[in-house]
Amino acid sequence: MALQSLLYAKENRRPWKNRADEGVDRIFLFLLLLLLGVGLVMLYSASYAQSHYDTGYTVSTRYLQKQGLCALIGLGGMVVLSRIPPEFWLRWAWVLYGISIALLLSVLLFGESVNGAKRWINIAGLQFQPSEIAKFTLIVLFAKLTKDFGKQAREFRRGVLGFGAALIGILIPLALEKHLSAIMLMGMVAVVMMFVAGTHPKWLLAGIGAAVLFVIVYVSLMGYAGDRITAWRHPEQDPSDTGYQILQSLYAIGSGGLFGLGLGKSRQKYLYLPFQYNDYIFAIICEELGLVGAVLIIALFALLILRGYWIALHGSSRFQTVLAAGLVSLIAVQTILNLGVVTNLLPSTGIALPFFSYGGTALAVNLGEMGIVLSISHYRNSTAQQEEII
Amino acid sequence: MGKKREYNRIRMDSGQHRRITGVAIFLGVLAFIPVIAQLCMLMVRDYDYYAQLALRNQTRTTKVTADRGVIYDRNMNILACSKSVENVYLDPHELKQSKADIPAIGQKLGEILELDPQWICEQAKDIKMRYKLVAARIDEATASQIREYINAQGISGIHIEPNSQRYYPYGSLAAQVIGFTNASNTGSEGIEAAYNSYLEGSAGSVITTKGNNEMDMPFSYESYVASKQGDSVVLTLDMTVQACLEKQMELAIARYDVQNGAFGMVMNVNTGEILAMATLGSYDPNNYLEVQDLQSAYELENMRMAYLMNPKDSQAYIDGESEYRKALNAALLKQWRNRCVSDGYEPGSTFKVMTMAAALDCGAIDLDTDFHCAGAEQIPGRAQRLHCWRSTGHGAQKTPQALQNSCNLAFAHIALKLGGERFYDYVERFGILEKTGIDLSGESKGVFFSKELVTNTDKWGTASLTSGSFGQTFKLTPLQLVRGISAVVNGGYLMEPYLVSQVMDADGNVVLQQEPTVLRQVIKEETSKTMCSLLQSVVEEGTAKNAKVAGFAIGGKTGTSEKIDVFDENGQRVQDKIVSFVGVAPMDNPEYIVLVALDTPSRSTGIYISGGVMAAPTVGAVMADILPYLEVKHNYTAEDAAGREVTVEDFTGLSLAEAESRLKEAGLTAQTVGTGETVTGQIPLAGNVVPGNSQVILYLGEQPDIRQVAVPDFTGMTRQQASDAAGLLGLYILVSGNDELDAVVTAQSTPPNTQVPVGTTIKLTFADTKAAD
Repeated sequence: MALQSLLYAKENRRPWKNRADEGVDRIFLFLLLLLLGVGLVMLYSASYAQSHYDTGYTVSTRYLQKQGLCALIGLGGMVVLSRIPPEFWLRWAWVLYGISIALLLSVLLFGESVNGAKRWINIAGLQFQPSEIAKFTLIVLFAKLTKDFGKQAREFRRGVLGFGAALIGILIPLALEKHLSAIMLMGMVAVVMMFVAGTHPKWLLAGIGAAVLFVIVYVSLMGYAGDRITAWRHPEQDPSDTGYQILQSLYAIGSGGLFGLGLGKSRQKYLYLPFQYNDYIFAIICEELGLVGAVLIIALFALLILRGYWIALHGSSRFQTVLAAGLVSLIAVQTILNLGVVTNLLPSTGIALPFFSYGGTALAVNLGEMGIVLSISHYRNSTAQQEEII
Repeated sequence: MGKKREYNRIRMDSGQHRRITGVAIFLGVLAFIPVIAQLCMLMVRDYDYYAQLALRNQTRTTKVTADRGVIYDRNMNILACSKSVENVYLDPHELKQSKADIPAIGQKLGEILELDPQWICEQAKDIKMRYKLVAARIDEATASQIREYINAQGISGIHIEPNSQRYYPYGSLAAQVIGFTNASNTGSEGIEAAYNSYLEGSAGSVITTKGNNEMDMPFSYESYVASKQGDSVVLTLDMTVQACLEKQMELAIARYDVQNGAFGMVMNVNTGEILAMATLGSYDPNNYLEVQDLQSAYELENMRMAYLMNPKDSQAYIDGESEYRKALNAALLKQWRNRCVSDGYEPGSTFKVMTMAAALDCGAIDLDTDFHCAGAEQIPGRAQRLHCWRSTGHGAQKTPQALQNSCNLAFAHIALKLGGERFYDYVERFGILEKTGIDLSGESKGVFFSKELVTNTDKWGTASLTSGSFGQTFKLTPLQLVRGISAVVNGGYLMEPYLVSQVMDADGNVVLQQEPTVLRQVIKEETSKTMCSLLQSVVEEGTAKNAKVAGFAIGGKTGTSEKIDVFDENGQRVQDKIVSFVGVAPMDNPEYIVLVALDTPSRSTGIYISGGVMAAPTVGAVMADILPYLEVKHNYTAEDAAGREVTVEDFTGLSLAEAESRLKEAGLTAQTVGTGETVTGQIPLAGNVVPGNSQVILYLGEQPDIRQVAVPDFTGMTRQQASDAAGLLGLYILVSGNDELDAVVTAQSTPPNTQVPVGTTIKLTFADTKAAD
């Protein structure tokens, strides 16, 4: 496989490498490519009807084409990033942080509205969400801070205020964008990374408690707390679109049964289930592939995540370890939140399923991030000199 | 290697290592457990539930309506049939998806359908719905206008579906029997309701999987359930008989200023077939939500106008409206009610037929039993003195006179001779305690005394027993009465009355065939024979002389009953009366029974309120109309030759001798004018109907004298006076009704002052307006 040979260099062609190059982690790469492949197949299936409908029954691959293109771009990025030494990011962490905040703020000024939310920015004809970059930046910065703080991360001043300040800098523009799902996601990833860095759990618990309290107060002040809860716990009684969405998702999942209706044979995707090709793609997977298929795909995610943490544990420096752990946590948290929402365990948010949901920026960025995880796996046995240079 | 060790020390921060391992276990394993558990619950435990909901979500059922069956009368005249109409409905969801211009649609549809555009827009905006009916049962022309509009504008979301509308060609005739169908084409009254399961057929359906927004799905399935056309129902009703009955009842209502409607029926005594069944204050089933009674409609409209005067949302408006709705519903329910089967009433003296039949049947009395009526009497076991309807009393009577005079005192004694046990037993066997089982829903069975009350006279006295014997202080339905008296005259057999003789499927195959059902023999054949002659004597000599019909042997019994359970606003028992007559013909071999009851004739007409005066002539008139139609043979006695109808032949061109012999054959006499040998003209002209024994003037060589004369007002004339008046003008009279000398004309077939040719026959109805009970 061309990609594999690209990633898995047989000979030592790299000047910064002193030891025999063992290449990237093959198990992680295999799981990743498998998920991506299955994801694209399922995206085609899930978006088939919508594509037909949108194009006046002429094209079934409208969404697949865009997603496929982004997958290729993402894979390219992954290959490049897997070859960049992880420590590269250490130097650029603050620069990235600045760029991210600038992009987030520029969205507020020049952003484009999609579905009523101003979260997109257009650069050279390429539309993307700066929040995707911001997530990555946050992880890089937290990894750097973890390395910088060292054992001092246990202290309140660094472990809480230090990380907290960095987090707030990103969350404020996101809050201005009202991008709640990104705030939630980043908050959770930040908590995981702070925990890994060594911030005392009591502060983390207090922070989580405060966040939950804030959400409760905010939602009740907005006056639709009751509706939200009804839509979540009793979707059949909720007249809003949210209730409809959840019901349709449950119909899709429940009617899948043990073995599903068969690949491509979903009925709910015929415009009954809104967002069937992005946030709710997992419901279509359940409907078509049944419990067996759904559990297999969950298992693939779990294995990828576990292997990711294994790579983190074998990182050749504290920075690499924490960076890998942060990137894997990002994927893990997204996956879990998405599955939780689709199966109605959690109230509806707007979080996509990595590698499956339609969304070019997200897919490309996710693949790029996985490239960095691969680069960490690549350098896991690097020499101590490397560590010391940095 | 020292450096390596130091690196490892940095890297292998054991606390961090543990924490990452913990995060891995949490985010890589534990967090997925609730998800998988939830999936198991949704996809395995609740699979059936969700699979079914999903299927319902994804399928469209297109109903294929079945044509409702036809209702025929016994001569296959159509009483109810369906015609195709269409419904217009909106699919708000689809309208939204197609981004339709709602205000424009509202405007246009409002224009075509004559509806408020605002209201249509409201319907169109209810986007959670897939079906919003905006117009039901519109005709084809209107529907095609909407189709054109839809096609021209390319709108998706306005739909037209076929529906059907029930049509009742005879309007209000037999309306309560036939019933009607409601807005959803389900029978809701009468035969339409009782035979709904046959009539409605079964709607078919096409079930297809469909994507949202009507997207076709490649992996879909279709199932088709064929619709079955409704069965047709053939009634025992004869619309000619029905029309005669209702016409005479309407005339009686007008003549006697009857306040509270009337009910009546015609039944075949030997089979239980109902030939006609009417309740007036009726309604038009084509327009069943309209109150037909002019007085009620007027009052309702006043109520409506009164509350509309108030500002909307005011308490007066709301109260007034609810009051109006209540009154409207009450009026509608009243006009839909088939009183012949659904309501009990006090039969009064008509019930004496059954009491006497029972007493004769079990030997409690015979025809020679003596009774004495002094006008009032202290009956043992009764607290109050019992008064006969004639306060002067009937004097000495034997059994036939007791019935002819309808003497209450005599019947009280008959009841005492019969005894409570036997009386109750016969009442039970006459079917008074049970529903008749007629094939209509909503039948009631009246209210009779408890057995204890009638039989245990030691404890309860004889009030119930004696009052019951002459039909008071209990209720039965008109149908129970008619059925019981049928059993008295038909040889003793209690029949199950029925309205539907046949149910046929769309191909004409008989699905259900009703045959006459004998439930039991109540009295002996010879008792029945005796009762027939007694009933005939009531018409010949008793209270029902007004019911006589020339050429037919009629029997029957009058009844006048007070409504004991109706009180006025002061708590006083109202003096309202129901007058009735049950007639049977022909008495030598009874075939038909006719009941007419008039509820609350007005005192204002000055006519004595009684069954004999009011109901008997009405039944007589019905009999006179229907018996010839039903091909019951005339049987003229010498006495009623004057009432016999003879159609005059054409004698012109015949020889005098020939004409005279033919006249004699027809029971007519001849007078000749002129001296020729052949007939050149005649009065009356051929085809005219004249009474028997009439004189026909034959012109021999001369032209007949065809003058026009004005018809006199015969009302109030005795038979002799009428005959003289007619003779003077050269008119013939055909008499029917009471043949007593002091009976007077109460109705004439041609109104006074009409110009008619000499020789025209005028039918006169005589009644004794002083006859009682």
